Amino acid sequence: MSFLDRFIDGWRRYRRPGYYEKFDYAWTMSIDLDRCTGCQACVTACQAENNTPIVGEKELAKGREMQWIRIERYWEGEYPNAKLKFIPMLCQQCDAAPCETVCPVSATYHNQDGLNAQVYNRCIGTRSCAVYCPYEVRYFNYNNHHWDSPLEQQLNPDVTVREKGVMEKCTFCVQRIRQAKDHAKDDGRRRVKDGEVQPACVQTCPSEALAFGDRNDPGSKVSQKLSDPRAYHVLDELNTLPSVVYLKKVDADAG
Amino acid sequence: MSNVDRREFLKLVGAGGVGVGAGFMLAESAKHPLEHLIPYAVPPEEFSSGVATWYNSVCGMCPAGCGISVRTREGRAKKIEGNPSHPVSQGRLCALGQAGLQVLYNPDRLSSPLLLDGASGSFRPATWVEGVDKVAGALSSARNVVVLSRGIRGHLAQIFERFAGSLSSANLLQYDFAHEDALYVGNRESFGIDRLPYYDIANTRYLVSFGADYLNGWISPVHHSLGFGTSRQGGHDRGYFVQVEPRMSVSGASADRWVPANPGTEGLLALGIAQQIVAMGGYSGADRDAWTSTLAPYDIASVSQRTGVNDDIVRQIAEGFMHTRPGLAITGGAATRHVNGVNTAIAVNTLNYIAGNVGIEGGILFNPAAPLATTGEENRGAYESLANLVTHAENGSIDALLVYDTDPVFTMPADSGFREALEKIPFVASLSSFMDETTAMADVVLPSHTYLESWGDDVPEPGVGFSVGAVSQPVVAPLYNTQAVGDTLIAIAAHMGHSDAIPWASTEECIKDGWRQVHAQGGSGDFDAFWRSLLQAGVYGRNIRDTRAVSLDPTVVAGMDANEPTFSGNAATYPFTLHPYTSMRMHDGRGANLPWMLELPDAMTSVVYSSWVEINPVTAEELGVRQGDVVEISSEHGSVTAPVYVYPAIMPDVVAMPVGQGHSKLGRYAKNRGSNPLSIVAAQTDAKSGSLAWAATRVSVAPTGQRAKLVTMSGESRELGRNIVQTTGGAAGSAGHSAKLNSIPIKVEAV
Repeated sequence: MSFLDRFIDGWRRYRRPGYYEKFDYAWTMSIDLDRCTGCQACVTACQAENNTPIVGEKELAKGREMQWIRIERYWEGEYPNAKLKFIPMLCQQCDAAPCETVCPVSATYHNQDGLNAQVYNRCIGTRSCAVYCPYEVRYFNYNNHHWDSPLEQQLNPDVTVREKGVMEKCTFCVQRIRQAKDHAKDDGRRRVKDGEVQPACVQTCPSEALAFGDRNDPGSKVSQKLSDPRAYHVLDELNTLPSVVYLKKVDADAG
Repeated sequence: MSNVDRREFLKLVGAGGVGVGAGFMLAESAKHPLEHLIPYAVPPEEFSSGVATWYNSVCGMCPAGCGISVRTREGRAKKIEGNPSHPVSQGRLCALGQAGLQVLYNPDRLSSPLLLDGASGSFRPATWVEGVDKVAGALSSARNVVVLSRGIRGHLAQIFERFAGSLSSANLLQYDFAHEDALYVGNRESFGIDRLPYYDIANTRYLVSFGADYLNGWISPVHHSLGFGTSRQGGHDRGYFVQVEPRMSVSGASADRWVPANPGTEGLLALGIAQQIVAMGGYSGADRDAWTSTLAPYDIASVSQRTGVNDDIVRQIAEGFMHTRPGLAITGGAATRHVNGVNTAIAVNTLNYIAGNVGIEGGILFNPAAPLATTGEENRGAYESLANLVTHAENGSIDALLVYDTDPVFTMPADSGFREALEKIPFVASLSSFMDETTAMADVVLPSHTYLESWGDDVPEPGVGFSVGAVSQPVVAPLYNTQAVGDTLIAIAAHMGHSDAIPWASTEECIKDGWRQVHAQGGSGDFDAFWRSLLQAGVYGRNIRDTRAVSLDPTVVAGMDANEPTFSGNAATYPFTLHPYTSMRMHDGRGANLPWMLELPDAMTSVVYSSWVEINPVTAEELGVRQGDVVEISSEHGSVTAPVYVYPAIMPDVVAMPVGQGHSKLGRYAKNRGSNPLSIVAAQTDAKSGSLAWAATRVSVAPTGQRAKLVTMSGESRELGRNIVQTTGGAAGSAGHSAKLNSIPIKVEAV
């Protein structure tokens, strides 16, 4: 078998949905839209944890925001029956991720835990992945950002600060996942226990709308949420197989 | 090494040859290598390179008093999270609480004492000795001194009290713009209870909120959100939420039913619902007949006509509230900032009382006394006490003012004359950490530590239904040449020769002394072990509840003669009611200098950085304005300009503006950004509570012909059939855990 054949064979196996059954973890987030209040504590928690930059009003006006999780708002109806619905939107960590196949340098790839990972120092900034992402959750560093001193003292030493020309996005707080795995190993355990690791957004959510865990573990909180009749994937018809599961908002008056 | 980085070094090598470059490098690095490489020659005990240390403390970003756990690395604060043991936050935290780090590391924090240089009119840095000397000198010769601060809770209040007591004539005054004065007075008049009750949102099955944006900044948003989530999908019947308000708030968006009502008529609607419940036989107390006659004027036809709420809706809410038990009605925010604010609070208490929601789980529970001897609420003053201060200052009867961490120049309306009055006071000293609008008018600034650098303790307000106290401790060493506010007061008193007036050497001593008494009342083991475990836990609780039975006398309601709201400005010239609203991200304006809060999109409109005015789509069309058109909003007392945001869920004769922007000071991020609606509200008060009726001003709206780039973070505002946010029928619910209130593990005495 030539190198190319082996590569193609490996790639095919690797890309096959359901790969996670073979591995230890399949990290999953569930978002209960009936609980979500749109308060955005998750947004600031993410910024604090992941060193996402403060880009300034001018850059925001150009649509160059850098918040890895955002709240989308959709109005429905007109006054006095107007309604506003919130939905937190972040990288869906798709199992069949459209962003991965288009990267010319494999800067974005799928890791063993089912995470859609981004290698910052491999990224050459073609921005193809952002174009292909149907959820629009990839953020490009158009500038080198700086923090007015001494704001930089807050930066999380466990997370790198990205440079101009690099694409970035939600990692499910991979630094926290790694830490939890290390702790489990130190304790002589093979697996991380349910609830032992939480991304910053899940950790802070005041209405407990967000939950995080391993769907390979049938007893985990998210596994139970997956079997909820309200569970659905956003833009399911695209068959991206997201790792973020939403639970439908309940319309009490719909009967 | 400090002046040469790797790139610079390589440049030198390339340009001047290896010898020169390397020689220069060697000379640079030979100077003081150790100074640069090892910042801590003898590191503190808890300092371990690469290992995070967590401290429990209390959040100081708003008065809710959430418990926090702060992650520090190498002596620097990195992340704030909720303290899981603290019953208010239960491990959760809001966006503003997260942004506490940007208060600590704010580039515009005051870093040393400042003295006003009379000749140049600007501040110059000074030493603490100079600063304290100046303040002590001014206070010794002053006849009348006012000590004005934010609400101070816990034992720190004792230092303020003793400091004021040591001066010949001093008044203590605590003022917070967002304080719910009307609710306190309303509760006192209804039930004779001074503290706010616990609103048990987690266990309620039917919540009617009259204007209280309980999910976005109202008194204890994190705890209310926890309750909301539990009530929504918590293993029991899903709670039904109704929100009554003229402009849809975040809580309104999350409610099952949003009911627009004329501004200031929320109390009328509550009484109308109560009247319906009594008429339907939902109240069976002995004084039923008295209630029937008391509530008779609030029949459905008149209430519907005065509130603008369809009578079917009133009837449906009354039926839902009567039959779905337990129910809960709350009020606050703009609804209690009318001239009838206290009446609204009493009306909502009445509704709770008639429906039988007082003293039951899922309704209103009263808070028992705190474990701490002092809660410091005694010196709290409403807007009216600041208005009195203005009068006295203009008479020249106030010689000196000490101000700490409250910014009335920003939050008081221009109509109040506070700024002018401040100029008349001969000596003003500020102990605030930032150069806010009030501090900028001081003669001396003695900057205080931020809450992450100070000792303190707290009784959460509102409480959580049982007896709780919390302690806050410094999580990092002070960044600058600042001092804890208590220590500054102690130093000033000592300098004036009153060192015996304050018996403690430092704030820490005072706090520790206070907890020694708590320990003496019921702690086991020795105090040092108790103190250690207390600091580790961050919170202390006793399972004491207040189960007193209260009754509400119909005469309290019968005595509310004028329940109709009145407004400043006539309807012909000023056709719109101005609805200012507060939010979690800006609070009373303190969020405006935090970059994270500026970049956090507004929850409803997704606008970042600036301010805007919300106008109903139909009204906007009538006015001929589009989104982004700059309009002038004028009241009888001034005008501000703001770009239009066409808001689908606001009454046609109401315009809304967020509070918090429009600073002229407060640092580089806040300065000269947006406009402040509070500057144009009329200085009228609710007579019963003396609080500012900041939601009772009429305005006119006129296009200026200019346009502004309104930066919003939302893309398309409609789903366009993409079915992104899916909904399901009302019957759906899923299993989960039950309400958490009773099962909170609070570490008490065990080490």
